[in-house]
Order: sequence, then C-alpha cells, then structure tokens
Amino acid sequence: MISRMTRRILTGVLFCVLIQTLNAQEKNGSYKVETIPMPEGLTSETGGVEFLPDGRLVACFTRGEVMTYEPSTKKWKLFAEGLHDPLGILVVSNSELLIIQRPELTRVKDTDGDGTADLYEKVTDDFGFSGNYHEFNYGPVKDKDGNLFIALNSSSGAGNIRPEVRGEINPLGRENGSKGQMFSNVPYRGWVMKLSPDGVLKPFASGFRSPNGIGFDLDGNLFATDNQGDWIGTSPLHHVQEGKFYGHPASLVWQKGWSNGNPFLLPVPFLDSMRTRGAVLFPHGIMANSPTQPLCDNTGGRFGPYSGQLFIGEMNKERIVRVMLEKVGGEFQGACIPFFDGNGLRKGNNRLVFGPDGSLWIGQNSHGWLGDQGIQRIVFTGKQPADVYTMNLTEKGFDLTFTQPIDELTATDPANFKFRHYYYKYHNKYGSEQFDVQNVPVTAIKISDDRKKISLTLSTLKPGYVYELTLGNIKTSKGDELTNKIICYTLNKLKSANF
Amino acid sequence: MMPLKKLIVFFLFFLSVKQLLAGQTADSVKTVKIEVQVGLQFDVVRFHVKPGEKVKLIFSNSDDMSHNLLITKPGSRLKIVNEALELGEKGPSMDYTPNSTSLLWAIPVVNPNQIKTISFTAPQEAGVYPYVCTLPGHGFIMFGAMYVSADGKMPELNNDPNIPPNRRLDTIPAVSVQHNEHKESGGDKIKNVKPLHPYVPVSPYLYRVFIEGASPAAIAVSLPGDLSYCWDAGTCRLRFAWSGGFLDNSELWKGKGDVLAKVVGTIFFRDKTEFPLTIGDPQTKQNVDFKGYSLINRYPEFHYTLNGVDVYELIMPKADGIGLIRTFRIPNANKTVWFNSDPANGTSYVSSAGKWTSGKLKISSAKAKKFSITMSRKEGGSL
Repeated sequence: MISRMTRRILTGVLFCVLIQTLNAQEKNGSYKVETIPMPEGLTSETGGVEFLPDGRLVACFTRGEVMTYEPSTKKWKLFAEGLHDPLGILVVSNSELLIIQRPELTRVKDTDGDGTADLYEKVTDDFGFSGNYHEFNYGPVKDKDGNLFIALNSSSGAGNIRPEVRGEINPLGRENGSKGQMFSNVPYRGWVMKLSPDGVLKPFASGFRSPNGIGFDLDGNLFATDNQGDWIGTSPLHHVQEGKFYGHPASLVWQKGWSNGNPFLLPVPFLDSMRTRGAVLFPHGIMANSPTQPLCDNTGGRFGPYSGQLFIGEMNKERIVRVMLEKVGGEFQGACIPFFDGNGLRKGNNRLVFGPDGSLWIGQNSHGWLGDQGIQRIVFTGKQPADVYTMNLTEKGFDLTFTQPIDELTATDPANFKFRHYYYKYHNKYGSEQFDVQNVPVTAIKISDDRKKISLTLSTLKPGYVYELTLGNIKTSKGDELTNKIICYTLNKLKSANF
Repeated sequence: MMPLKKLIVFFLFFLSVKQLLAGQTADSVKTVKIEVQVGLQFDVVRFHVKPGEKVKLIFSNSDDMSHNLLITKPGSRLKIVNEALELGEKGPSMDYTPNSTSLLWAIPVVNPNQIKTISFTAPQEAGVYPYVCTLPGHGFIMFGAMYVSADGKMPELNNDPNIPPNRRLDTIPAVSVQHNEHKESGGDKIKNVKPLHPYVPVSPYLYRVFIEGASPAAIAVSLPGDLSYCWDAGTCRLRFAWSGGFLDNSELWKGKGDVLAKVVGTIFFRDKTEFPLTIGDPQTKQNVDFKGYSLINRYPEFHYTLNGVDVYELIMPKADGIGLIRTFRIPNANKTVWFNSDPANGTSYVSSAGKWTSGKLKISSAKAKKFSITMSRKEGGSL
C-alpha cells in the first residue's frame, strides 16, 4: 500500500522535477541542481553516498543494495546486496567498503575481482540490538589516527523490543515514568561509539536520540546532528567529545558506574547540569526539522567560497543548511543559514558527499517519514554567491561578513536587521516551543572599508538564547539581492574581553 | 491471487461496518477513534455523521512523531494546509493551526502516545468535511473526510476523491510481494507488480532481516529448489529451514521497518538443541562470535568462532529438494567435535564422517576439518 503511495508521491515529485529542471538554479545563479537517473526497479531510499578512488559514486539503499554509478556513462552497477537498512559507507578502496547496517559494521569486499562483493566480514557488532525499529546505526567516519566512529540510535517508545535480543537487557528507563520516550534497553543505544584500530569498540559520548549524521571538520573535530523530539527541544548540531552527555537521558543507563536509577526520573535541573548543549540549534519550522549528515566543505573553493564550513542535509524540506562555527570561551558555537532551497532540490536530503569535481551529491530518503527518494547533485556555477559568509559574536553584538562587497546604503539601514531571541526548554516533552521571544533592537551599525563586513551592536546579549536575524532588502555592490535572509546564531557563551 | 484481494475487500468492508456500528452510542453521540499508521496516514480515512449529530472525536497518536487534526469547511483542506505553512516559526506555538475562516474544529498537536479528544455538533449542511494534519509537509498526504449526510451514502472507496490516493481500494496491489522467485513459470505469476530490486534476485541470495524465531541479527537465505533457511548471526547457528517459498518483505519495506519479514512456505526444520556443535569437553560453556560470511558461487559460507576456534558452515540444497546439506569446516580442530541433534528438530540426519550415538555425532579432530551433515525432512514433517 505504502509502496504504491511512495510511487504516487514519487511520480508527483518527478513531475515537479520535470517542471523545475527548467529553473533548477537559485536566483543568483551560483548553484544549480541536477537529478541523477536511478536504475529501473530500485526503491532508491538512499542510506549512503560516497565516491570511490576511481571516480565512481557508490550508494546503498534501504532494501540492502549497494550500487556504483559511473558519472561519465550514467551506468549503474550492482556491487553488493542483502544488507539490513544500510545507512552509511566508508570507502577503503575501489573494491572494499565499510558499511554500517542494523546488525553490525560490515566490511564488504570484492576479493576475486569480478566487480561484485563476495566477502561480508563483521568489523564490529559489539553493541546491543533489540530489534526495535528505531535502532538505526550511522557512520562510520574515520579520524586521522584510524579510529572509526559510529552512532547508535535510541530505541523508540512507539515500538517494542523483540523477545530475543542481542546483548544484555537493562529495562531501566522504560518500565516506568517514561512511556513513549526513546529508550536504551540494550547497550549502547543513544551513544556515539569509537572503534580503535585494534578492533575494540568503546562508548564515546552519550545522550543522543536520533543522531542521523556524523562527520568531521577539516581540523578533525567530530560533529553529530540530532533530531527534535523528547528531551530535544529543537534539532541540534553537537561537537562530540569523549565522555560528554548531550541531553537525551535514555543512554545514561549504560554510563560506566551509573547508579542513579531510572534517568527519566531524575530532576531535570540535574540532567541539565550534566548535559552539553548543542553547538548550533536549528530552530524547528524555521531552519530544519530533521537535520542529517554534516559534511565539511573540503573542496578548497571548487564548491564556492564556503571552504571549512559545514553543509547539513534536511529531511523535511527541500533544503540544504550551511553552518558556520567559531570558538567562544573554548567551545564551538555558531550560526546556521539555509544554503540551498527548492529550485528543483527535493526533500529527504539524507546523505552528502563531494564528488571529485567538487559538486555536492545528495542521497535522498524517506523511510516511512517525510522525505523523497533518489540522488541529486548541486553544482557551483562559478558565479560568486551573494550571501552571509560568516556570523561572529562580538562583545556587543555580531559581525556579519558577506561573500562579496555590499551596498552601503542598504547595509547600514537598521530596518534591514531584525533580531529576535528565544530559547528552547530542556524537558521530556516532544520538542519545545520558543520561550521568551523578544525583538532585540540593533543600536549601531558599522561597515568595514572593504564593505564586506557589518558590525552590529545589539541592545542586549544573553547566553542560552538563539539569535535569529532576518535580513531586509540588502543588496550587493553589484545590485544583487542576498539569496538567504534568515540566519540563526546559537549563543551559548558570551564573548568577554578575555577571549 | 484473487482470494487475497477479495479478503482485503471484505476486511475493509468489515472494518467500515464495524466502525459505523461501533460509532453509535446510546446517547446518540457518535464516537470516532482515529489513530496514526505508518507513512503519515490516519488509520480512519473517512467516516459518516448525520447533520447536527453530536460527535466525539478521539485522536490517539500511535505514531512516533507529533500530529494535529484540523477539520475544515468543504473543499478547504489545501487552503488550510498552506495557511498553516505560512505560520512559519509561529507554527509550533500555534499548534500549526491558522486563524482561518475555513477552519471548523481543531485538535492541537498531539505528541506520540498521547490522546486528545474534541466534541462538536456536526454541521447542518450536508457535505464532505476534510480533516487533516497540518504539521509541515504532513497535510499533503495525511488527511481524511467526514461525510455529513442524512442518508450516509459515500462513494465507493476506490472512487473516493476525498481520501488519500493510496487508500483507495483499487490501488492496493493485488500482491505487493514477489515472495516466490523460485517458481518463475508459476501459473499464478502476478502482472504489474513493482519489482523489489533493480534486478531479479537469483537464488541463492540472502537478506539480513527481522524474522520471527531468530535474533534481530538474522540472515534469511533463498536456495535453488524452493528451499530457504534462516541462519542467525546473533547466535551463530542455523535456526530453521522451510520449503515452498522465501519471504514476504512487503510490510517490512513499506515504512520504518517496525515489522517482521514473513516466511512463505512450510517450516520443516527448527533446531532445538542447545547448540549444534561442541568442540572438546561438552561441559564447557559455548561462546560464539560471528565473523561474517563469504559467498562461494553465491552460497554464503558463514564464519564464526566457537570458544575461539574458527568454524565455517556452508549450506546447500539437497538434490531431491527435501533437505539441506550442511558442510562444516573446522580447520584448526584439535579436539573431538560433536554435532548435536534433537528428535524434535524435524529432520533425519546422515553424516559424511563420525559415529552417531543417541542423536550425537562424534567426529575426530582429523575428520572435523571438513565434514557434512545431510538433513532430510521427515515424512509429512511440518513444524
């Protein structure tokens, strides 16, 4: 029934795409979308996209297929089959992949050179597996020392655990006081795990609900997104560090030496004092409702000016989000802004990878939630975007740096900078409203000599708030309109003169 | 496959009748209970009330994300959906409920596992009143219709433009599954079934899959000759085998995966032993560790360790189609190996080596480097 529905939606989407291919370019013409033809008969719910050293794309799909795509000939070829909900690929070589699937991290390898995999070797399955439908696994990503990181989804309170599970069962956190909340009855659901080169899998960081996206920046910092829901007021991006707890209590039962009983019954202020807040919050309904993989721009300019920044997929909207980070008080925080909206881009933007030519390939998925299917790519046309390049906190407000010089008249008009602040509550409810929503007046504006930077002074700055800026009709010096006008800065720490 | 379709028709008919009957209560308040099913759908896509009838609507959110339920004036569903979208960041605090002249009643956002209820008096004016979830993106597919009329007439389900297209009866695939790849030439082959894959799977092939009777880390393998088995990577053993088909994955793949694959055919073997192999002292606790599998001419050879000793198991169909040939390799066997069977397993056994004593096969370490067990289905065997 649903597959028929999916087909109908897909047909609709394809129709829209047909209409939109004529206009599959955002208004400033800096980026355009292309849709990749998918093989007939494939339900292309895409769980992973990566590139092989020889330039082929490799992708995995919900029904267990792993396929390669040669961009020059547009030919798809089956590499492996039979995997259980594969959701991430790490390329070892043209003939060898590491793929995360529900039961394990698996080495999938073509050992006889016939072009299809014949070895499916367990790399690690040293974590619990209750059969709850929400136990998706993500990753793997590799650090400079050869350690792999994977993320384990918490189990859903809307589902059950199977009569026979893999791993020890700890019913804490499910038997009372937490009906309907995500849980972690087998080890280490809700954790990011570290697999060292010697093959030992260790819990690394806890407190995740549905971390459908994990990745490194250029300096080797690990980031993961999480999904709005119980205990997650709005979807965050976390800087994942060893031993830290990121907010969803379920996973705490597997913390070494945990002796505080059912974590859901602990006082919220206590849990709050333990948790590390999101480095960036994606305001729900504004920026992203279901962010996915963070991908650092390592193209060195081939994808435009955003080298070192993060691109993040969004499942619920036709959107890719861009994140710009800075360290304040020793911790990452920063801003998010739409990068690409609509213009032929579909929903379900689940996995991202840069191709050898520096274009951004996007694997799309729905998997019973909101989304789409297929693969698209975004290509930089070479025309400099008209956008905010960075947003940085200052002692009195924010500095906005633009991708190109801007028009002084419009850029110094206070009416073109509308700030609001608000915060999201940490609580067991599903999501959070915005609290203490207030307009924050801009009291002074300064433009730099090169007209690329605006320094804004705000009447107040409060830590723990999101500062949402809506830009008015600011033009570039050339007269172009800015592509994206809403930008949200997560102010966890104030900037003091000491930093 | 017509019987299945008829069954579905009957079932849906039964459901709607049941719903109509159950909806009427003594004090003439019509109670309608709506839940959520996978794929952003209300489980009840339409119901009937009389003009001016008192209605109690119970919305129980059985999903894992939040939903609301807005009832609109006739023909206003998309208008309301777009108005809700335009709320933008105000959406969450307003329960995605726009102040609209087209809105009649609203159940605010209901979180997973919560229930909210509204009571209202049905309009005097007959018509089709849409209900819809207006959370961003949901409203285009998650909706239904309240029919207000004196006579209770509704169009045929398969012809009802007021319900989501995929819920109209004629669009339900007669068989949404190609479970039986073994019988390519079977007389009941279904036409126009969407392929499961971009290729036709050729046995042997496998799925790692959720299936009853095994751990969540199960592997289901389809063999040539209409045989299938489930080998469990969670417990490193053959769990059961069946003949007559492979799997029905239609439910498994249509949503979030909160269901099990169904066995198609008859199970003729189920291992009831504590563990099929023992190396050395039978009193030693058996610790297993799954290592993976290699495909040999597409047949998986499973690899695991048993108390640290490498064991390989390759399973082939028996030529006559009524059993399995299991080839074990224990290259580093340096102790006596035992293969354990149970009379309740459903098969008889013949081995290539060793000696049987009351259901246990004793194999010398030399012979254990490679030996086969042929399991044949017992006469009339079905478990």
